[in-house]
Amino acid sequence: MKKAKLIVGLGSCGIAAGAQDIYDYISSKVEGTSVEMGITSCVGLCHAEPIVDVLTAEERITYGNVDRKFADKLLEALQEGELPRENRILDSEEEKKYLEPQVKIVLKNCGVIDPESIDEYIQTGGYEALKKCLTTMKPEEIIEEIKKSGLRGRGGAGFPTAVKWSFLAASPSKIKYLVCNADEGDPGAFMDRAIMEGDPHAVIEGMVIGSYATGADHGYIYCRAEYPLALKRIKKAISEAEERNFLGENILQSGLSFHLDVKEGAGAFVCGEETALIASIEGKRGMPRLRPPFPAQSGIGGYPTNINNVETWVNVPRIILNGASSFNKYSYGKSFGTKIFALAGKIKRGGLIEVPMGLSIRNIVEEIGGGTTTGLPVKAVQIGGPAGGCIPDSLFDTPIDYDSINATGAIMGSGGLVVMDEKTCMVDVAKYFLSFTQKESCGKCTFCRIGTKRMLEILEKITEGKGEEEDMGKLENLAHHVNKTSLCGLGQLAPNPVLTTLKYFRKEYEAHIFEKRCPAGVCKALITMVVIDDKCTGCMLCKKACPVNAISGERKQVHSIDPDICTRCGICVETCKYDAIEVL
Amino acid sequence: MAQVTVNINGKAVRVEEGSTVLQAAKIAGYDIPTLCHSENLKPFTSCFICAVKVEGGKENMVPSCATVVTDGMSVIVESEEINESRRMCLNLLLSDHYGDCIPPCEDACPASIDIKGFLDLTAKGREIDAAQLMRLKAPIPGILGRICPAPCETACRRNRVDEPLSIRAMKRYIIDYEISGKGRVQLPVPEPDTGKKVAVIGAGPAGMSAAYYMRLKGHRVTVFEARAMSGGMLRYGIPSYRLPDKNIDEELGAIEKLGVEVHYNTEIGKHIKAKELEREYDCLMIAIGAQGATSMRIEGEDLERVYSGIDYLARLVEGSPPYIGNKVLVIGGGNTAIDVSRSAIRLGAEATILYRRTRSEMPANDYEIEEALHEGVKIEFLVAPVSIRRRADRLVLECTRMELGEPDSSGRRRPVPVEGSEFEIEATAVISAIGQKVLPDCITDLGIEITKWGTIKTDPNTFMTGRPGIFSFGDCQTGADIAVRAVGNARKAAFAAHQYLMGEEVTGEPVLFNSSMGPLEEVSEKVFEGYEKKPRITLPIIAEDKRLTSFEEIEKCFETGKAREEAARCLKCGCDAAEECKLRQYATRYGAEQRLFVGECRDYQTDDSHEKIKMEIHKCINCGACVRACAEIKGFHVLSFEKRGFITRIKAPFGRALADTHCDGCGECVKVCPTAGIMEKRVITEEISEH
Repeated sequence: MKKAKLIVGLGSCGIAAGAQDIYDYISSKVEGTSVEMGITSCVGLCHAEPIVDVLTAEERITYGNVDRKFADKLLEALQEGELPRENRILDSEEEKKYLEPQVKIVLKNCGVIDPESIDEYIQTGGYEALKKCLTTMKPEEIIEEIKKSGLRGRGGAGFPTAVKWSFLAASPSKIKYLVCNADEGDPGAFMDRAIMEGDPHAVIEGMVIGSYATGADHGYIYCRAEYPLALKRIKKAISEAEERNFLGENILQSGLSFHLDVKEGAGAFVCGEETALIASIEGKRGMPRLRPPFPAQSGIGGYPTNINNVETWVNVPRIILNGASSFNKYSYGKSFGTKIFALAGKIKRGGLIEVPMGLSIRNIVEEIGGGTTTGLPVKAVQIGGPAGGCIPDSLFDTPIDYDSINATGAIMGSGGLVVMDEKTCMVDVAKYFLSFTQKESCGKCTFCRIGTKRMLEILEKITEGKGEEEDMGKLENLAHHVNKTSLCGLGQLAPNPVLTTLKYFRKEYEAHIFEKRCPAGVCKALITMVVIDDKCTGCMLCKKACPVNAISGERKQVHSIDPDICTRCGICVETCKYDAIEVL
Repeated sequence: MAQVTVNINGKAVRVEEGSTVLQAAKIAGYDIPTLCHSENLKPFTSCFICAVKVEGGKENMVPSCATVVTDGMSVIVESEEINESRRMCLNLLLSDHYGDCIPPCEDACPASIDIKGFLDLTAKGREIDAAQLMRLKAPIPGILGRICPAPCETACRRNRVDEPLSIRAMKRYIIDYEISGKGRVQLPVPEPDTGKKVAVIGAGPAGMSAAYYMRLKGHRVTVFEARAMSGGMLRYGIPSYRLPDKNIDEELGAIEKLGVEVHYNTEIGKHIKAKELEREYDCLMIAIGAQGATSMRIEGEDLERVYSGIDYLARLVEGSPPYIGNKVLVIGGGNTAIDVSRSAIRLGAEATILYRRTRSEMPANDYEIEEALHEGVKIEFLVAPVSIRRRADRLVLECTRMELGEPDSSGRRRPVPVEGSEFEIEATAVISAIGQKVLPDCITDLGIEITKWGTIKTDPNTFMTGRPGIFSFGDCQTGADIAVRAVGNARKAAFAAHQYLMGEEVTGEPVLFNSSMGPLEEVSEKVFEGYEKKPRITLPIIAEDKRLTSFEEIEKCFETGKAREEAARCLKCGCDAAEECKLRQYATRYGAEQRLFVGECRDYQTDDSHEKIKMEIHKCINCGACVRACAEIKGFHVLSFEKRGFITRIKAPFGRALADTHCDGCGECVKVCPTAGIMEKRVITEEISEH
């Protein structure tokens, strides 16, 4: 057998798609041969998992959608010479559209190196930035370099990182804390998880540099317990880094000491908010409090604390090592570098992408994402997670930039980007996101706890076909109150999905309320499934598939659907091969 | 300590450095509302009612309890926008606040009598105090206790356990008890003379009640009454088998004895002009009732032996009953129709009521209808009169059958004639009792506005007409209505009239916000869990034979033991903290609405396990003050938040009962609770307090 290394992508997403089974299967086959096994993490191509890289002396070829049958084919090829042409996912013309617009600064190691090996990290230049700092730079020079780079917080708010650091550095307190906010809670966003699973040392390196720059001697990585693999890998990385003296006492004989602990959160979305996160680290219920005092003044245990998101931390060693200009050469307005997005929804190539600031939403959706899975036109994207907003296709030339996105009413957020086509109901979308934030409200403030609930109830009423004329006004008024009179970002931004859909898709609301019609054919109370007589062949497939026996009709005779029994589940529509069932 | 200058609504104040906006505003004279904040606790910022706007700051509002002032800071603490935000905050809190401020019986009572209070006193054997308590809101409880249709009993929550309390009967019992023990009703002593002269027109329930309250305030009250005796419709419109004259004489006589002068047989417009009264008195109170009968507007209405119900009943009282013969037809479906029929039965006639709709639309009280049927009155439904003519010595009433069509403006289905269904009935007399109207001619010289319904127009809270110092209430202001409403409105009018006489701003009685668990049938099942069924005790009734042959009062009084036993059935609804509740005070101040948002609401849930402290989680507004008081003042962690989102609750942790925690009942939590989420256990107040 040819000498080669087979690297299986074992991120959580890969494992969910069956990659662990492929890894075990191939391992059992190649035992004792010249073929070596390796692991890596998520490369971002969720639509192509499981992914196996074949590394030979000459090349590295990435294969997607690998099942056992294809694995056999690969092994055969390794024995006989020619590697298969099919299932290669990164070298087709189409895939170039996916890759070319992307710039991988943060994600450069993800899906490439073995995340459980500190050596592989070091081989790719890992911890060089730290060495550079400790040996050639003063703390203030580091902050200056970060300032020059223009890095802004990637957790969503976009606050300049260097400014935040300088607050902490200026504090005379002997005890200071750094926190890595890995409490990624947005439905659909998973960049923080992917980074921790794929490149955990980069997080650590960023934080150690931060400790040197700000004088903090202790750090926490606050990560939700629902991320077991990320936790496992980050903990392993911490102990390896300690062994090599990249962490702990007198780091690399520089005199710098920095200790890092992992704090597991219980999965409350609101704990991503800085003050709630601090309360949670302190062992209290995760409830935000008023700022000021800001964490840099009074954080964990009352001591100055600086909190940055995972993506922000990972940018730090990259900027230090390659210089601010390697980062800020990608820019738009006051946004610099790259931003990771989790592409989801009705998009052909869903997954994790990293794009330079200034790329347009259209580039992301049409080129990188490849358009919709359904082939229907894209109607909108929802950016920024549950606190974000919906941007209509008419504004798709909006560039990726904090200020430009804010101007649409959406927010950059942590980078969730959900693509919607014409069969997506915007009222339903608003309802979905609001139901999430409502459930995740910490329950402290009146407007957030009760206001979002009342908003949700109005949306439910509208989607159930019981909407009344005054409901839109009531909803809008309440949304403004909740936005203006909530303590933290969760409450303040919770109305965003409602406000942006009301702004850009008011007609859909009106159709629900005045015409009792859901134009996208989603809201069950407002739709009916009807057989188109001319198209129905009487094949009986839908009849068999219907879970509630709402369809009647003999073989080769036109079928019919009893609307009183039908639950509008849509299985018949999916089952029918002749497009003979219409949603009205 | 260093001082800083802050601008509060444009007013510069010097405050200590480190002060909050809340503190600075207080110094500037602004009372910013707050529910979650207490001086003894660290700021928490949960209620957000204290939110204010920092000028030049962000668009968002900030909580004033936690925002520390800086030198030169400019803050708006009151504005249309801020008040709107506070109102919305309260609307939201109230939409998830499940409780009754006042008991539903009191809420249903048009005179707002403290029913829970007088029942409790009665159960404890303190009937004399109970009588005084009742008269704070209605000076003639003995009369009302005989004739009131008792909307309180309809609203009584005990309906959901078994049967409502006998509230009406209890009023009558209390006054009978008072009279039997003390010889007469014990009215308070009026306040010292104010020198102000008040003229009241009409000695009915409204006029006499107003006279009572005005006299108690020390004013000189003169009542002008057209008839020979006081009582108005109480005496002239209600037969004595329901309300004996001696009871009217007792309670209204007692008011006269307070120093109220009544000029009988004095008709306004005839013997003295209203305009003259206005000149001679400092204040004029018009309570002329609705003394006119509504016409049937059919042919033959003016024939002999065709009477109106109220005239007929009045002539009975005056001792000159008109001839009715042995077969009487009564037109109408209200209480007057019932009273006329039952009187006719007592005079030996057959009585048949003709009503154009069905039983369920009949405006007469159910109880009265039952009694009438029991006594032999017949009722023909869906029948309307068309004309009356004479045939020999009889009257012939031509009628038509009706059917119910579309609902009209009152919500009742409109009766429409069935074509070709006409038929005739013979009778010796026809009495029409289809309604009453106000006869305002006697006071039109005052130049006050009359509504299109013929009633006198007033402000709804002060009962003052468009002309300052002239008030009107009772049936002449509402249209024909029940006595208890006339009494309640008379009291409210007297409150405003007193303000007028004292030169104060005329605001009327304060109207407080009332939280409610909603209509009886919608109240949570959990409220009624654990109550033992105890049937209602009703008044004994005189022997059947006496009943049909005389005008003797049908009901007899409770025995004392039975009355106290019945009074003890009261569920004591309403909130123990209603007097102090900040949520209620602010809801009143900002005009909040509890039902602006109708949706999911917390359900009834109490923790009654602890010997000293009671939690009513359904009333909690999640401000967290109790949690913090326990932790910050006491150093305990007896209470905590649980769950997230709308269903977040404050409770003893891990599903424990309060008694199973280390709570020692210190009450720090109770002191900071802005509403009734957490309370000290206490017995119902024993004092008769004015509220």
